[in-house]
Amino acid sequence: MPSRRLSPLLGLLLILALVVTLFPVFWIVMTALKPPTDWNAVPAVWIPAKPTLVNFRTLFDPEAIREYGVGGVSQSASAAVFGSLLASTVSTALSILIGLLAAIGLSRYSSGSTATPLIILSGRMFPPAAIAVPFVIIFSAAHIIDTYSGLIAIYVAATVPFSTWMLKSFVDDLPREIEEAAMVDGQSRLMAHLTVTMPLIRGGLFATTLFIFILNWSDFMFALVLSYGRIATIPVQLAKYVTATAGTLYGVQAALAVLAMIPLVLAGFAIQSHLARGMTFGAIKR
Amino acid sequence: MNALPRAALADSAGLEFRGATKSYGGKRALNDISIFVPRGSFTVILGAAGAGKTTMLRSIAGLEKLDAGELLIGGEPANHLEPKDRDVAMIFDNLALYPNKTGFENIAHPLRVSGRERTAIETAVQGIASKLKCVHVLGRLPRTMSGGERQRVALGRALVREPRLFLLDEPLSSLDAMLRIELRTELRRLQREFGYTFVMATPDYTEAMAVADSIAFLREGEIIQIAEPQTLYDEPADWDVARFIGEPEINLLPASYSPDEGGRVMLGDGIVCQAPPALRQGGYRTSFQFMAGIRPEHLRLGTPELSAWCGEVTDIEPLGTKAAITTALPRSEVRILVAATVARDLKVGQFTSISFDQDKLIAFDRTTKARLL
Repeated sequence: MPSRRLSPLLGLLLILALVVTLFPVFWIVMTALKPPTDWNAVPAVWIPAKPTLVNFRTLFDPEAIREYGVGGVSQSASAAVFGSLLASTVSTALSILIGLLAAIGLSRYSSGSTATPLIILSGRMFPPAAIAVPFVIIFSAAHIIDTYSGLIAIYVAATVPFSTWMLKSFVDDLPREIEEAAMVDGQSRLMAHLTVTMPLIRGGLFATTLFIFILNWSDFMFALVLSYGRIATIPVQLAKYVTATAGTLYGVQAALAVLAMIPLVLAGFAIQSHLARGMTFGAIKR
Repeated sequence: MNALPRAALADSAGLEFRGATKSYGGKRALNDISIFVPRGSFTVILGAAGAGKTTMLRSIAGLEKLDAGELLIGGEPANHLEPKDRDVAMIFDNLALYPNKTGFENIAHPLRVSGRERTAIETAVQGIASKLKCVHVLGRLPRTMSGGERQRVALGRALVREPRLFLLDEPLSSLDAMLRIELRTELRRLQREFGYTFVMATPDYTEAMAVADSIAFLREGEIIQIAEPQTLYDEPADWDVARFIGEPEINLLPASYSPDEGGRVMLGDGIVCQAPPALRQGGYRTSFQFMAGIRPEHLRLGTPELSAWCGEVTDIEPLGTKAAITTALPRSEVRILVAATVARDLKVGQFTSISFDQDKLIAFDRTTKARLL
């Protein structure tokens, strides 16, 4: 057992890293609780003297902020929350399904050529902004622009390379003889993968799912250029809290950002225990 | 006792390969393998690491597809069958237990898959576990088991079924010596008692000799010889087989044959003797060079004879009832197996005369390595 004590220098560095990482989170949560007068007060208000939930109410009731004399918010965020949940959940599920099948195919059956994994990844080898405009044209022609199915399609296309590669590395780590034992025991290939492979890469499956969900959940650009108003997502909605009279509504934006963080934080805690390594310890001789 | 008389089984095939070939990339892993394994027999595939033993077993199980050739299991073509439809059980060389299942569930898995009744599964698992002395690990996960316990659970997972064929890939390799011998005897007993067909791969010739009805010697993807254990020892197909089987290793000495006087053999270091029967009856009319193989137990110490070397003892290795003596001749070295009582009187550095049983000399071709008949 190695010593668990940290050297003072390392401890200091860790604290510094934590401060840098957590400060924006702290600032966002505090801002979400500030009344409009505190949003960009100078000097900065670190912790609001009179915390309020008015920003959160404004998200779903645009008129709520008027009690502070701020107007001009027109749209409820509920459509965006629904849109983000729908697009991210469905596209993540599809991406994981396709990625898992591809990963098993590549890892176990050498599907395609040795270049196949690279070709799959090549879809991510240029910046999304470069392909966004062509997609606008293609999606318009295909009449799927400004639809959830269109948005889901592009999310799946954009994340399948990641899900394939990540899941492939987890399948690669699993000794194939464990699945083969199941096949010799009388299970079909599909059943062996469902009942043996999947449970044994569970940790990787959860981690990849969360990662893909975060990618989809936080996408701004595709949602912006591929929607004209019929569909909405949280990141696009965030950009809409700018009014002619009051400028940027920082508090309302912060409130929506806090809401957007909650599912990710909860998911992170939920799968934490599954992320432990060493699931297959004891399965094979080393 | 066999469940059925062996003679009645001899002509029914447990397994047959006809010209089986398998390559990985450009490398031939199996090269034109043909073998017939009678049902109810214990066949061992013997060979060094990388000889193709595992590939052969995996091809039988359906985990590898043959590039060419035919595979028959129980007399029926099996090339096209999925692993699940081949009705074979396999023990993998790395065991491949289900790490998330208990010992009980590991052993029960094939029975669950085939939809056996719960109480029948319970009985079968308990039965095989007590036979393999691993009842105490049934409730535990593989990660909490010792190497030997895992090995026994893996054996149990295969033996709990009654398939047409058992494939065992070095099934005893991670056990300590005592348990290995105990379990191999147990395997042999089970195989005989129930008339199972076993195909086992091992690099250990003593293990092979102990259990096999028949041994197939594999080298670089080719079957060099298929024979009963004693035949493999007495009449090896070539000097690789001869060196692989037997401890200490067979002595190989450059020699030449001359047809004079009904056939004479000249060994290095000045020994001339009568040619062994194989050469005398071989009808060789000219002189030629060959490699003489003499098993260590066919050499004798201390009786000065006409055809005897004088060698210096350089090493004495006690083996219990026997001892292996290494002696240096002027230009070569021979190992001799003697009784421990003989070895007790020897000292390193001492000179001794060495003679050998001429009829037991095995002649090999210098270039092809094949045994001369």
